[in-house]
Amino acid sequence: MPQFFVETSWLLPLYGLFGAVLALPWSTGWIRRTGPRPAAYANIAMTLVTCLHGLLAFRSIWNDGPQELMVRWFDFADLHLDLAFDISVLNLGVLELITVMSLLAQIFALGYMEKDWALARFYSLMGFFEAAMSGLVLSGSLFVSYSLLEMLTLSTYLLVGFWYAQPLVVTAARDAFLTKRVGDVLLLMGVVTLCALAGSLNFNDLYEWVKVEDLPPLLATLLGLALISGPIGKCAQFPLHLWLDEAMEGPNPASILRNSVVVTCGAYVLIRLQPIVVLSPIALGTLVVLGTITAIGASLVALAQVDLKRTFSYSTSAYLGLVFIAVGCEWPGAALMVLLTHAVAKALIFMSVGGIILTTNSQDLTEMGGLWRKMPATTLAYGVGGLGMVGILPLGCFWGLRMGADFLSSDNPVLTAVFFLVNGLTALNLIRVFRLVFLGQTQPKTRRAPEVPWQMAVPMVTLSIITLLVPVIMANLSLLPPWEFINGPVTAMLILSGLVGAVIGAMMPLSKSLARSQRRSLRIAQDLLAYDFYTERLYDKTVVAAISGLAQFSSWFDNYVVDGLVNGIGLASIFGGEGLKYSASGQSQLYLLTIMAGVGLLGIFMTWTLW
Amino acid sequence: MTNTLPKATTLHPLDPFIQRLLSAEALLPDSDTNVLEVVGILKSYGVVLDAYSRNLIYIADHQFLVLFPFFKYFNGKVTLPQLLRHWWHDRINFEYAEYCMKTMLWHGGGKLDEYLDSLEFLERCQAAVAAKTKRNPLLQGLGRLFPEFFAEQVRQLVYYSALGQFWRVMSDLFIDLSDAYDHHEVTTIPQVVAFIKAGLVAAASKPIAYAVEIDGKTYDLVPLAAEITFLMDVAVPYVESVFFRGTPFLGTVSYNAQANQISPDQGRFDYGALYADPLPIGGAGIPPTLLMQDMRHFLPDYLTQFYQAQERGLDDVRVKICQSFQKSMFCVTSASLQGLLPHPADTQDPQEADANYAFLSSWMDRLATSRLSVVQL
Amino acid sequence: MLSVLILIPLVGALVLSLWPGKLDAPLAKIIGSVTLTITLAWVGFLATQFELTTPGFQFEELLPWVEPLGLTYRLGLDGLSLPLLAINSLLGIVAIYITDPKIHRTRLYYVLLLVINSAVAGAFLAANLLLFFIFYELELIPLYLLIAIWGGARRGYAATKFLIYTALSGVLILGAFLGLVWLSGNSSFDYDSTLAAALPLAQQMVLLVALLVGFGIKIPLFPFHTWLPDAHVEASTPVSVLLAGVLLKLGTYGLVRFGLGLLPDAWMALAPWMATWAVISVLYGSLAAISQQDMKKMVAYSSIGHMGYVLLAAAASTPVSIVATVFQMISHGLISGLLFLLVGVVYKTTGTRDLAVLRGLLNPERGLPFVGSMMILGVMASAGIPGMVGFISEFLVFRGSFLIFPTQTLLCMVGTGLTAVYFLLLVNRAFFGRLAIAPPATSPQPDIVLPEVTWRDRTPALALATLIVAFGLQPNWLARWSEHTTLVLHQPYQGFVQTGGRRATPDAALADTLLLDPDSIPVVPAVEASQP
Repeated sequence: MPQFFVETSWLLPLYGLFGAVLALPWSTGWIRRTGPRPAAYANIAMTLVTCLHGLLAFRSIWNDGPQELMVRWFDFADLHLDLAFDISVLNLGVLELITVMSLLAQIFALGYMEKDWALARFYSLMGFFEAAMSGLVLSGSLFVSYSLLEMLTLSTYLLVGFWYAQPLVVTAARDAFLTKRVGDVLLLMGVVTLCALAGSLNFNDLYEWVKVEDLPPLLATLLGLALISGPIGKCAQFPLHLWLDEAMEGPNPASILRNSVVVTCGAYVLIRLQPIVVLSPIALGTLVVLGTITAIGASLVALAQVDLKRTFSYSTSAYLGLVFIAVGCEWPGAALMVLLTHAVAKALIFMSVGGIILTTNSQDLTEMGGLWRKMPATTLAYGVGGLGMVGILPLGCFWGLRMGADFLSSDNPVLTAVFFLVNGLTALNLIRVFRLVFLGQTQPKTRRAPEVPWQMAVPMVTLSIITLLVPVIMANLSLLPPWEFINGPVTAMLILSGLVGAVIGAMMPLSKSLARSQRRSLRIAQDLLAYDFYTERLYDKTVVAAISGLAQFSSWFDNYVVDGLVNGIGLASIFGGEGLKYSASGQSQLYLLTIMAGVGLLGIFMTWTLW
Repeated sequence: MTNTLPKATTLHPLDPFIQRLLSAEALLPDSDTNVLEVVGILKSYGVVLDAYSRNLIYIADHQFLVLFPFFKYFNGKVTLPQLLRHWWHDRINFEYAEYCMKTMLWHGGGKLDEYLDSLEFLERCQAAVAAKTKRNPLLQGLGRLFPEFFAEQVRQLVYYSALGQFWRVMSDLFIDLSDAYDHHEVTTIPQVVAFIKAGLVAAASKPIAYAVEIDGKTYDLVPLAAEITFLMDVAVPYVESVFFRGTPFLGTVSYNAQANQISPDQGRFDYGALYADPLPIGGAGIPPTLLMQDMRHFLPDYLTQFYQAQERGLDDVRVKICQSFQKSMFCVTSASLQGLLPHPADTQDPQEADANYAFLSSWMDRLATSRLSVVQL
Repeated sequence: MLSVLILIPLVGALVLSLWPGKLDAPLAKIIGSVTLTITLAWVGFLATQFELTTPGFQFEELLPWVEPLGLTYRLGLDGLSLPLLAINSLLGIVAIYITDPKIHRTRLYYVLLLVINSAVAGAFLAANLLLFFIFYELELIPLYLLIAIWGGARRGYAATKFLIYTALSGVLILGAFLGLVWLSGNSSFDYDSTLAAALPLAQQMVLLVALLVGFGIKIPLFPFHTWLPDAHVEASTPVSVLLAGVLLKLGTYGLVRFGLGLLPDAWMALAPWMATWAVISVLYGSLAAISQQDMKKMVAYSSIGHMGYVLLAAAASTPVSIVATVFQMISHGLISGLLFLLVGVVYKTTGTRDLAVLRGLLNPERGLPFVGSMMILGVMASAGIPGMVGFISEFLVFRGSFLIFPTQTLLCMVGTGLTAVYFLLLVNRAFFGRLAIAPPATSPQPDIVLPEVTWRDRTPALALATLIVAFGLQPNWLARWSEHTTLVLHQPYQGFVQTGGRRATPDAALADTLLLDPDSIPVVPAVEASQP
C-alpha cells in the first residue's frame, strides 16, 4: 500500500491543476447567481489532498529510498523528451513545505479576500500556481523544470495582474513577466544547448554527461551563465530583481507564497542545476558576485522602504542572495537550509503584513503605530516570524545562516561576513518596522484596529507554532548538526551580528514622518536606497530605451524605406498599364483580374510555344 | 424663495444644485426612469438591508467575543440544508455589511465614536469581558498580554449593533417607499426625497443603545444615558464614511506607499458610494460587487424588465444596479442634507439663509469630484 | 481519393453559383460550412488510411494532362501536406463560420472562399511542379477579390499591392520551375527528389535563389513583407484568418517541398545565409511589431517574425528541424488564426483596434472577458509558454537548428523574448485597466457599454484554443504523421549535419579544470552529504 502512494506521485502536481479546473465554472462566470466560494473550498480541499498524499509518499520513501517516475512524452528522431519525476525524501519534503504554505495561504485568503467577488479566479490561479510549484520540485528533468518555470512566470503574471483594473498593476504584471522572461529565454538557450549536446535532459543523465564531457571553456561558461539566468530572474536577484518590488501590487495571499515558496522554487532549480553549472567556474563566480550584491544591496534598500510589503520583499531578495552565494560556493546543502527556513519565516511575516493591511487600509509605515495592544495574532506572527528570520534565537533561519556561515568560513571569510551583515541588517530592519507598526502612538489609520477574523488568525497562529517547532522538526529529520560539529566562534559571531543589528534598530531615532534628511549627503543616500539604486530608471535608460528605439526604427524603416522604396519605384510601372495604379476604384478590379489571368496563361503559353 | 438668494459674488460653482436642494428638489434630475430605477433599487436594497440588519444585530447580541464565529451568518438557526446552501455560497453576502461596519468604525466620527474612547465605556466593557472570560484563563491571559484586544473587539461589536439598528430603520423606510410607489403615492424624484427625509426626521432622535447578555446578566455597553441618537451619531457618520469617504478598493487603487495614491488624511478620502465608478463592479477587488450581487436577487419585476430592455440585458446587471444604486444614494444624500439643514429651507431670515447656503456649499465642495455630473446625464 | 479534396469545395462553389433565385446569406453559409466540413471529414478519413511508415507520396493520382508540356495531373499526400490540408479545411470552416451574416454579395463571397480552399488543397497535394504553380496562382485571384471587395477603407491599395507582390512571386517560382526542368533535361514536371541531382551547383543556386525570393514574398520574409500588414489591416477578419493561417503556409511549404526537397546541394550552400535571413526576419518583424498601434498590424508583424522560424528550421534541415517546420506552420496557423479572430471580435464590438485608446476590455460585466482570456491564452501560446503548441514548435525549431547554426538559433530565441514584449503590451494596454474605447473626455460621459459577445462568436476561438492546448500537451498527435516524410527529406542532408555540427573541438588542456568534483554531483542527498 505505501508503494501505491509513491507510484501515484505524479498525481501530486495534478491535484492543484484539478482544483484550478474545478474553479472554472465560477471564474468564467457560468455560475453567476450564487457566489464563488465553492471554488475556494474545492481548491483548499485539493491542496489538502496533495498535502496528505505527499505525506504518505514521504513516509514510504523515507523507509524505502528514492524512486524515479518516467514517461516518454515526445520522441522524434534523436530527440527524446521525458516527463521525469524524482520522488525523493528531499523533493517530497519541499513539496510538503509548499503545500502546507499554500494551504495556509489559501485559508488566509478566505479572510483577506472575503470581499472580492473574483475569488474563484484567484483560487484557480492559486491552484495553478501550486501545481506548477509541486511539479517543479518533483521534476527529474530539466525540460520539465523549464516548462514549469515558465508556468510559474505565467501564473505570477496572472496573479500579479489579478486586480487588472488597477493602474500600477498593469505595469507591474507586465514587468514581472518580462523580467522573468529575460531570465527564461536565456535559460531556454541553455536548455536547448544542453539538449542538443547531451541528448537527454533528465537531470541524472545530465549529471553523468557532465562528468565525461569536455566542453571548450567559452561554451561551458556561456552555458553556465545561461543556466543560472533563469533562477536569477525567478529569485529576483540583481539585475533582474525589480519585479518582486512591483509584484507587491498583487493580492497579499499570493505575496505570501511568492516571497516564500515561489522564490524557493527558482532557487531549487538552481540547486538542481548546480552540478551542471560547475562546468563553468565563471558562472559559479557570477552566482557569488550577484548573490553578494543582492544580499547586501537589497538589505540596505529594505531599510529605506516606507512600504510595508516592499521592505520585506527586498529582504526576500537578500536572503535568496545568500542562497546564491552558497550555491556558487558549491554548498547546496547550506543553500537548501537557508532557503527552506527562510520560506517558513517569511511566509509568517507576510501573513502578519496582510493582517495589518486589512485592518489599517494602508501599507505606509509612516501611518502606523501602536498596533500591538489590539492585535495579538498579528503581533505574535510578526514577532515569531521576525525571530525565525534572523540568527539570534535557535529558530529556523538561525540554523540555515549558521550552516552557511560555518561552511564558508574556512575558504571565504569575506562571504561569511556577508551572512553576518545580512543577518544584522535584517534584524535592524525587523526591529525598525516593529517599532513603527506595533509600538508608539496610534495614528488616525491605526486608531481603530480590531484583530483580523479567524480565517486569517488561525493560519497565522498555526504558522507561528510551526515556526517555533522548526528546530524540532529539523532534529527529527536529523537535519541539525551534532553539538560537537557546531563551530563556536562562527555561531557566536552570527548571534552577535543579529544582536548588534537589533540593538541599533531599537536605539536609532525613528521619525514617524520619515522626513528626508536635512543633510544633503544623507538625503542622497536615503533616496538612492528608497528608489532601489534607481534601478528602474537604469532599465528605462538602457534596455527599455534600446528596445523601444530599435522598435521605432524598424517601424520607421518599414514605412519609409522598405515600403517607400516599393511604392516609390512603383512596382506597378513594371507591369505598365495605367489601370494598375493603386486605387480603390472598382474598375481596377477588372483590370487586375484580366492581368492575373494573363500572368497565369502567360506561363503556360511560354512553355506551349517552346514545345 | 428669491429673497434667499445670496449675493452673486459668493455663488458656489455648484449653485444650481444648492438651489435645487433649497427648493425641496433633489440632486438627481426628475424623470420617470429615474423614479423607476431609484424606487426599484431601494426596494431591493431594503430587502437586503433587512437581512444585513438582522444579522448585524444577531452577531452583536449573540456572538459576543466568540473567537471562532463559524456560524455567525446563520442567525442562530443552523440546519443541514442551510449549511449546504451556505457552503454553496447561495446566500446573502453579509461580508458586505461587515465591510460597511468596519469602514464606519475605522473612520469614526460622531458622539458614538467619542463615547467608545471614554472611561465609562472602558469600565462597562471590562465588566462584560470579565464576565465572558471568567471561565477561560487562556483568554484572560490574552487580555492581559494585549490590553486593548478585547476592548477593540467590543467597540467593533458596538458598531455591529449600531449599524444594524440604523439599517433596520432604513430598510423599513425603503420598503415603505416602494409600497407608496406601488400605490402611486410617490411619482417624482422630489417626492421620493421628501419621503426619505420625512422618515429620517421621524427617526432622528431615536436612541441607539447596545446591551449584551452574558450568563443571564445584562451588561449595558452603550446605555441610553450615553444619549447616542439615530441621526447625528449614526446616520451622519454612516453617510460620511460610506457615501463619502469609503476605503480605497484594492482593485482600482494602489496601496503602494511610495506611489502616494492614497491620502494620508482620511478626511480627504473619496472612495465612497457617491464617487465610486460603477464600471469595475463585478471585477476583482471591488467590494460593492457583493451588495450589487445581493440586490440582483430582489429586483422588482419592473426594474428587471427595464434592465433587460437595455444593451446587454441582464448580462451586466450588477453594473446597472450600481448605476441605479448611485442615483438612489444621491436621493438619500439629498434627503439627509435637507434634513440636516441648520434652518428651514424656506426661511425668510437672510442670516439663516446664509447659514443654510454655507452649509450646503461645504457639502457641494466635496461633491464637486463625485459622480454628481454623471448621474445628471 | 485526393481529388475529392479539390473537388468538394468546387462542387460547393458550383452549387452556390447555380443556386436558383435569390440565395439567402444563412443558406450560403450553411452550404459553405457543410462543404468544408465534408472536406475536413475526408482529410480525417485519409488520415485513418494513411500509412505512417510509408515515406513517399500516398494515394497518388496520375492523369496525363498536357503531355507536351510535361504537365500532368499528379497528386500525392505525404506527412508534410497532411497536417496542412487539415488546417486548411479547419480554418476554412472557421472563416465561413465567423463571416458577418449580413455580408453583401453573399454568393460571390462564399464561392471565392471555397475556390481558395480548393486551390490551396490542390497546391498542397500537387506532385507536379506546374500543377503546383497553377494552384498557387489560382488562389491569388479569389483572395485578391476578397480583399478588394470586402476590405477596409484602403482595400484597393492593399489588394493591388498583394496582387503585384504575389504575381511577382509567381513569376519567380515559375521561372525557377521551368529552369529546373529544362536544365536537367527532363520532359516532365513531375515531382522527383532527384530532379536536380545532375545540375551543377551554380545553376542550382540560381534556381534556389529564385525560389527563395519567390516563396519569401509569400511567407513573407524581410524585405518582401510590406504587402502583408497592409493586406491584413484591410482584409476582413475571416480573410485575415485564412491569409495568416493557411495562405502564408504555401510559401513555407513550397520552400520545404521544392527548395529543400529538390535542390539539396544549393540548399546546403545557401543554408547559412538563409539562417541569417531568418534571424533578420524574426528580429525585424518582432521589433516592428512592438511599435504598432493597430492590434491587427501588430499580429501581422508578429506573423513575419514567427514565419521566420520556419526558414531557420528549414535551413538547418535536420530531422528534428524539418518536423519543426511542420509544427511551426501548424502552430502559427492555429495561433495567428486565433489572434486574428479575437482582434476581429474586438474590432466588431468596439469599432476600433487602436491600442492608444482601448483599455480594460477584461472588464467582466461590460467588457469582453472571454475574448480577453482567450487573447491571453493566444499571446502566451505565441510567446512560447509551455503547455501550448507554440512552445513545442519553437523548442523543436531551436533544438533542431542549434547544432547547425548555433548563433542564428540563439538570436532567433531573442525573438521569442520580443514576442512576449509586444504581446504583453497589447494585452496590458487593451485588456487591463479601466474599460475605455475612446480617449478620456473632458466632459462627463455616460458609462460605456459594449455589446455582448455571444457564444456563436466564442465557439471558434474556443475550438482553436482547445487545439492549441491539445497539441501543446500531446505533440505526438502532430509529429506522428510527418516522421517518415521528414526522414526522407533529411536523407540528402546527412553529411551536412556531420560537418556542420560540433564545430567546437574539445579543448583538452582546459578540460580537467572544467570537470567538476564528482562528490558534489548527487544533489538529492545534498543535505546529508554536505554536513561536516
